[in-house]
Amino acid sequence: MTLPEGTGPLAGVKILDLSWIVAGPTVGRAMADYGATVIRVESPARIDTARVVGPFHGDEPGVENSGLYGNVNAGKWGLTLDLRVPEAQEIFRRLVIWADIVCESFTAGVLARWQLDYSHLRELKPELIMLSSTLLGQNGPYNQVSGFGSQGAGMAGIQDLAGWPDRAPAGPFGPYTDYPAPRFALTALLAALDHRNRTGEGVFIDQAQAEGSMQLLAPALIDYKNGGPALQRRGNDDPQMCPHGVYPCLVPEGRTEAWVAIAVATDDQWATLAEVIGAEQSMSVEQRREHQKEIDAAITSWAAGMSGADIEETLQRAGISAHRLATTEDAANDPQLAHRNHFRRLPHSLHGETVVEGPRYILSDTPIQPARPAPQYGEHNLQILKEVLGLSDSDIGELAASGALS
Amino acid sequence: MLSPYRVIDLTDERGVLAGQMLADLGADVIQVEPPTGSTGRGVAPFFADRPDESIYWAAYTRGKRGITCNLEDSRGRELLLQLLESADFLIESSDVGRMTELELDYETLRDRFPRLIYTSISAFGQTGPKSQYVGSDLAIWAAGTPLLMSGDDDRAPVRISQPQAWGHASGDAAGGSMLALHARHQTGHGQHVDVSAQVSAAQATLAQVLAYQLGAGDPERYGGGVKIRGQAIRGTADVADGYIVLLMGPGPAVGHFANHAVKWLVEIGAAEPELLDENFVTYADRVATGQADPALFPRIQDIMREAVATRTKQEMLDISIEYDLLLAPVLDIVDLGDSPQLEHRGFWQEIEHADGCRVVYPGPPLNILVDGQQQGICRRPPPELGQHNAEVYGALGISADELGRLRSEGVI
Repeated sequence: MTLPEGTGPLAGVKILDLSWIVAGPTVGRAMADYGATVIRVESPARIDTARVVGPFHGDEPGVENSGLYGNVNAGKWGLTLDLRVPEAQEIFRRLVIWADIVCESFTAGVLARWQLDYSHLRELKPELIMLSSTLLGQNGPYNQVSGFGSQGAGMAGIQDLAGWPDRAPAGPFGPYTDYPAPRFALTALLAALDHRNRTGEGVFIDQAQAEGSMQLLAPALIDYKNGGPALQRRGNDDPQMCPHGVYPCLVPEGRTEAWVAIAVATDDQWATLAEVIGAEQSMSVEQRREHQKEIDAAITSWAAGMSGADIEETLQRAGISAHRLATTEDAANDPQLAHRNHFRRLPHSLHGETVVEGPRYILSDTPIQPARPAPQYGEHNLQILKEVLGLSDSDIGELAASGALS
Repeated sequence: MLSPYRVIDLTDERGVLAGQMLADLGADVIQVEPPTGSTGRGVAPFFADRPDESIYWAAYTRGKRGITCNLEDSRGRELLLQLLESADFLIESSDVGRMTELELDYETLRDRFPRLIYTSISAFGQTGPKSQYVGSDLAIWAAGTPLLMSGDDDRAPVRISQPQAWGHASGDAAGGSMLALHARHQTGHGQHVDVSAQVSAAQATLAQVLAYQLGAGDPERYGGGVKIRGQAIRGTADVADGYIVLLMGPGPAVGHFANHAVKWLVEIGAAEPELLDENFVTYADRVATGQADPALFPRIQDIMREAVATRTKQEMLDISIEYDLLLAPVLDIVDLGDSPQLEHRGFWQEIEHADGCRVVYPGPPLNILVDGQQQGICRRPPPELGQHNAEVYGALGISADELGRLRSEGVI
């Protein structure tokens, strides 16, 4: 008894996904893309924040309208379970027997209260692979810190490092620790699956999303821990590149501002740029840094009369790294993203059509298309309960009456 | 877990994290550098007491073995091909087209190494109209759209001061490579994995990269938060010794945290006890139907900001845990260095380098138990230039004399 199998390298791999918002669900989405059968368990009694965060279809908030929820859950099957209800816990245990991998992101200790944490589930199924993903990890004095990757960004040091030295931190956009963390979790889960297939041994992964994200700060952390200075936010300055900044450029009709990012890495690149903007060509990076204000002013004055697209093309043709500050409309029309077929349109029963991102890598011999959009609340309850667990209509009726399915 | 697998890692500073992720999961990763050293050895920062040694390079080559090989020389390329006989993965991050010039591109290698998983990391991808673009952290962050959404509204958009874009791309390269390994289990053959850092960077937008296509407006940058439909939402607050991330909102997803905050405010005497009767889970719906005061929540936010302003980051963290609030301190690098949480989890790991220096590194990205046994990071120190030449080339049957000759002729 099972759901229709997916196609791809992970066909036949069964995942029970209790994680929520972004960091956890992103992992299951990637595995669903490549053929895994992923049952996403959630409860409308505790709304997944991703469902109430935009961007929304037609800019209209609603729990079935979120493009974020859709993006991180496409290709999954949906089951509603309220795990506070004992009957729901029993269904969950039976699904663990079915699953190869369980992903969850409850605050540390919550599953243990229901005897559904790894130590209990391992007794049920020794070869189980389980990912428990939290902001700060399963143990330690602050393991009870709950919340989102925005709190994670604060506690991983990222929030402090985006912004201007003379001001409060501007911070990166959104819950930053949700972005690096799934890469580490996905890679480790795929390694665990490979290991289990060879050895039969189970694996538990305790992910602190902050610790994963701090891998991307490793140079700054090592510097400070070994007697060097503590990195502080420095606007768009770079320790080795100059000029290096985001410059205002010609504002197209219908917009209020436009910008272009320019990064000059070598003396040759500078000589080329200097010729274009009419500045002294033979300056070392140290000299350029000394004259950074004048140089930035010269670039700004040159850029004022040109569109971001023109600047990008002109400088890239000359071998200088530059790109317009892409808006989401620019992204929609970006020929490079189109070339990679990055945006995938999927039929959707409520919206007619929805759009999600494709995978973040192209496998030359394994093209994918998400099999279905993210599940609506309880969309596959009957199918899962009947086909995976073999429940009868009357079993399901009793289950619903117990409140387990809400 | 990955001990049966070998990775030939040709990356420079743009892709060097990917191989390390596999090394920390148990793979044998051999970093291959030109005889003059990788350009990654020139990337800042540098050790305070050893100004020629790149911390960046050390950070992401820890866990790997290291050899030199001159791929410009046909004898160097022949050595690499010999190494690939026993390799499962090749990872590279050179300028697009460079591997083709060297006749080491995927199309050339696939016939000889049909099981090889060949992963390329680049700024925009291996093909397409922007594939020849010069990449940089800043330009990629602009092209992938996260830069659009970060910064103060009266200044230019701003990036994160420790560059991030190549790290995201490297993470995707590791994941994509592992998917290709599972595909190989199924089909028996390897394939080419093409990672675009632009696409990887789009992950850092919380799916807002889709906004236009869904018919929603773009979020706009706003210091410490964001503007949505022109409405500024500040996500940080000032406290006595710095800042905290403070998210308060009504509604079914987060309203209970606001209720907890009111409980704390009442207990410290900052808010009137009658407010305990208010439920911010249902508040927004009641405002919409005229049953609740729309001015109430903004007033509570003001009270909250006032209450936190006189307390420290540490006090607010303790209060956040005790009352289950949606707030956390904005830690700086110094705070992280002293963090009791990281200390408890054994995050900092001291590793002795080949020259005897002891260097403290960040610990594992994940705590992993395999069959109940705790795993750790690979504690192999970052390799000195060519440190494992004798070991690695020796295993190919190349004699010490031959190695000496290859070295003097600039092949390794």
